[in-house]
Amino acid sequence: MELRLKNKLRENIISITISLILTLFITSVIILLIGKNPFDIFGIIISEVFGSGYGLGQALFKATPLIITGSALAICFHASLFNIGAEGQLNLGAFVMSLAAFYFSALPAYLLFPVVIILGFAVSAFWGYIPAIIKIKKGVSEVITTIMMNFIAMALINFLLIEFFAVKSTVRTEKIADWIMIPKLSAYFQFFQGSSVNLTFFIALALAFAVYFMLYKTKFGYYIKAVGFNETAAKYIGIKNNRIMLLSFLIGSGLTSLVGLNFVLGYKGYYEFGFSNNLGFTAIAVALLAKNNPIGIIFTSLLFGMLDYGGLTVNTVIPKEIMFVVQAVVILSILSVDKIVNNYFQSKD
Amino acid sequence: MDIFGYIISLSFLAQVLRLFTPYYLGASAANFSERGGVINIAIEGFMITSAFCYALFAVLTGNVLLSLFLAVTINILFSLLYSAFTIKLKINQIVTGVGFNLLMAGLAKFIMMLIFRSSSNTPRIESLPHIPFIADMPGIGKVLADYIIIFTFLLVPISQYLIYKTKFGLRLRSAGENPAAAESLGVNVRNYKLYGVMLSGFLSALAGIWLASNQNSFSDGMIAGRGYIAIAAMIIGKWKPWNIFWACIMFAAFEAFEISLQISGINFPSQLLQMLPYLITVLVLIGFIGKTKPPAADGIPY
Repeated sequence: MELRLKNKLRENIISITISLILTLFITSVIILLIGKNPFDIFGIIISEVFGSGYGLGQALFKATPLIITGSALAICFHASLFNIGAEGQLNLGAFVMSLAAFYFSALPAYLLFPVVIILGFAVSAFWGYIPAIIKIKKGVSEVITTIMMNFIAMALINFLLIEFFAVKSTVRTEKIADWIMIPKLSAYFQFFQGSSVNLTFFIALALAFAVYFMLYKTKFGYYIKAVGFNETAAKYIGIKNNRIMLLSFLIGSGLTSLVGLNFVLGYKGYYEFGFSNNLGFTAIAVALLAKNNPIGIIFTSLLFGMLDYGGLTVNTVIPKEIMFVVQAVVILSILSVDKIVNNYFQSKD
Repeated sequence: MDIFGYIISLSFLAQVLRLFTPYYLGASAANFSERGGVINIAIEGFMITSAFCYALFAVLTGNVLLSLFLAVTINILFSLLYSAFTIKLKINQIVTGVGFNLLMAGLAKFIMMLIFRSSSNTPRIESLPHIPFIADMPGIGKVLADYIIIFTFLLVPISQYLIYKTKFGLRLRSAGENPAAAESLGVNVRNYKLYGVMLSGFLSALAGIWLASNQNSFSDGMIAGRGYIAIAAMIIGKWKPWNIFWACIMFAAFEAFEISLQISGINFPSQLLQMLPYLITVLVLIGFIGKTKPPAADGIPY
């Protein structure tokens, strides 16, 4: 058993390394094809991101929601639940957070923040509850239902915004009071001057560690992995599969709401339709690349955050849209390389 | 405008048939793939790729038929890549689908920016040719004279026949229902899965091409979730061509109704109507409306 785990770790490191190299290679080929020098492009990205506190801060700011959503999804994925619905879940959560922070601003801070977070969490969790309960009661795969729930969520938010909550002729909610805003890191460190990175970054880190602890060091986490690994076997050792599935879906989808802290409370001060920009799907990539390990997710999110901000810095040389392609290539290379490496080691055993 | 008068008019019917076309092509694309046991949630991405390629080549070459051919070819190449992932390497089909969707949407955005320096749309392109004379009929002529629309209607009985009455259909279904049994009877299961996915690439290409041709350009976000609505129609249609046909007609009618409400200026929140296809799908899945069941080995790599 010990040896197998060690081999697994070795396989993971090999396949992650190969797929990152493969991505770098494919990206370079694309850049070469359009007549630019890949080394120049990578040079600009690295010097822009690491050359100033602002650049680094922006990369951290972009990484924050990925760490949160990636860790949240990791819980679902460990239970073999394909939650494709993070996009809808996190949008609803962030939307409700912005409303709660606006309408309950009369509450004292020690009440307001818990209320905002609990309401956001509850709504996101409820959106995950529906596909989870349909899966448990009716045996319907969560994949299709979560996809459908995404569209329903977005249409619902759009409806609520237009009919009730949006500031006239915009697609955003009212701005919350300044005292509710989560402080930017630049308030403590001059170094990050001008960048949007805020205290949520540390909340995200803490969340990733907490999820790691839960998944790998607690009985509950063990149950989640057991259900994900082999449902039948889990049942026979006395695990209540349905309860574990439901709980991991609730916690996983509920936690996605915390991205609202970064965007609504930490950055804009309001919810804006379309703010997430496929975050719920990119987070799947981030989690996959890290093999659903929350500590790994911190690193893959930082990488994606760097790419995200880096894309903006090279926009004058090469359209920033290339980063969408790079992120997709990352997913497809990790999927394929992983399988090939796996097959290779299996045939060797 | 009198909204009820409009609904029974020819132009409303024409609108429904127009909206129906990409839905049915997409749903049919998803269905052929799933009948062979391969879930393809990247229909949206496939539609984006073909719509974009068609517009791109139409701008570059000025030849719409050549563009159609190239866009279909590229989509089929992508479907081969999708098969390499899902059939050859047996990678999880859902995650592959998510990756393909991101890749295809990203590539279209990137290349559009690169070539046209626009994040929103390509220059104007020509439509595909129509059957002469019929196209001049008032109201509905343009629809009746559209080759892809005609093909889409013929596709309903053709797929019904193909799936249920031919050797090909039987083998395709066996690959999706019980691949091990099919294999033991000498059916090359993987080949049939591949054919299903390739058909999926071909039909979704037509859907995308038709949309771009009908709009006379490609614009970012123009597919607007149609690939997912198509999947929803397939589920509601219980993976059966005629049922899928009715599901697509229903969704198209909702949308045409929503558009006519907007035009007539009646104050009704259109988002609620936009939500309907997805909501109905969830209700059908729960079992509130009818019962639906995918092919037995759907999504399981073999």
